[in-house]
Amino acid sequence: MPKKTMTLNLTEAEMAVLEELCEKKDLSKTVLLRQALRLYQQVDERLSRGDTLFFEDQSKREKAEIMML
Amino acid sequence: MTATQPSEIRAIELYDNAGKDFVEAQRWHGVVDKNLADWEAEWMPELQRRLKLLNQQNVERRFWPQSRHWDWRAKLKDIEKRLANQSFALVCNGMTQAMMTVDTTKRARLEGQQTQHLVYVDYLEAAPWNRGDIAGDPPRYRGCGTELILAAVELSITEGFKGRVGLHSLPQANRFYANRCGMTDLGQDKTYENLRYFEITLEQAQVFIGKGKGA
Repeated sequence: MPKKTMTLNLTEAEMAVLEELCEKKDLSKTVLLRQALRLYQQVDERLSRGDTLFFEDQSKREKAEIMML
Repeated sequence: MTATQPSEIRAIELYDNAGKDFVEAQRWHGVVDKNLADWEAEWMPELQRRLKLLNQQNVERRFWPQSRHWDWRAKLKDIEKRLANQSFALVCNGMTQAMMTVDTTKRARLEGQQTQHLVYVDYLEAAPWNRGDIAGDPPRYRGCGTELILAAVELSITEGFKGRVGLHSLPQANRFYANRCGMTDLGQDKTYENLRYFEITLEQAQVFIGKGKGA
């Protein structure tokens, strides 16, 4: 599939987080950002339909709604 | 609107049971309108014909193909604009022989690769005439399932997921994923209709790729 290249400007803090996540998930920066975009699109689609996004800790019976922009 | 052209076409081989030899085929990256037309005009009538035979032979419904209600047009419409999902089709002799859709946002469950990204196979189905389990007819082309799992493994490698693939299997396909594909069986998943969940590791993926065509 043909791909397009872009330049991304990140702060030092943002770059540090990106590098930390890449290390943790054993992914390249490109792959990680591509995953982030896929997830963002998926979440946005569900929220647009009126769904709500939660994180749930079953052991503590805690449920927290995630606020999305 | 469904695409009319796949994004990539790769030459593969399938085993033709009629000619007793491997034949040229293609793996399309992206299920397109032609594949859905084949499903509607060729797969569906053939499936109905075979279901009728099973019914006439008094075969219990629980032994009928468990994917018989799958609506590929609806499945493709659901994912057509989603970056997370991709699809593949196998074409041989001008006819769609099998189709698969995958999700690239799921995480691995197997110890040692838990929470790492993988390619999750949402749906995989071969044309009715390529299945040996419907009404006793031998499959026309063998190796369709293997080729599509290979596509998922290769996509996983391309995506940077190290060959990791996961899926929930319909009971009729459990043996195929465990034995032919060498995937690890993590048992029944209570959160997913009690279907068995299978996963393939980097090492298993390498063995699977090494086996080549498993017709």
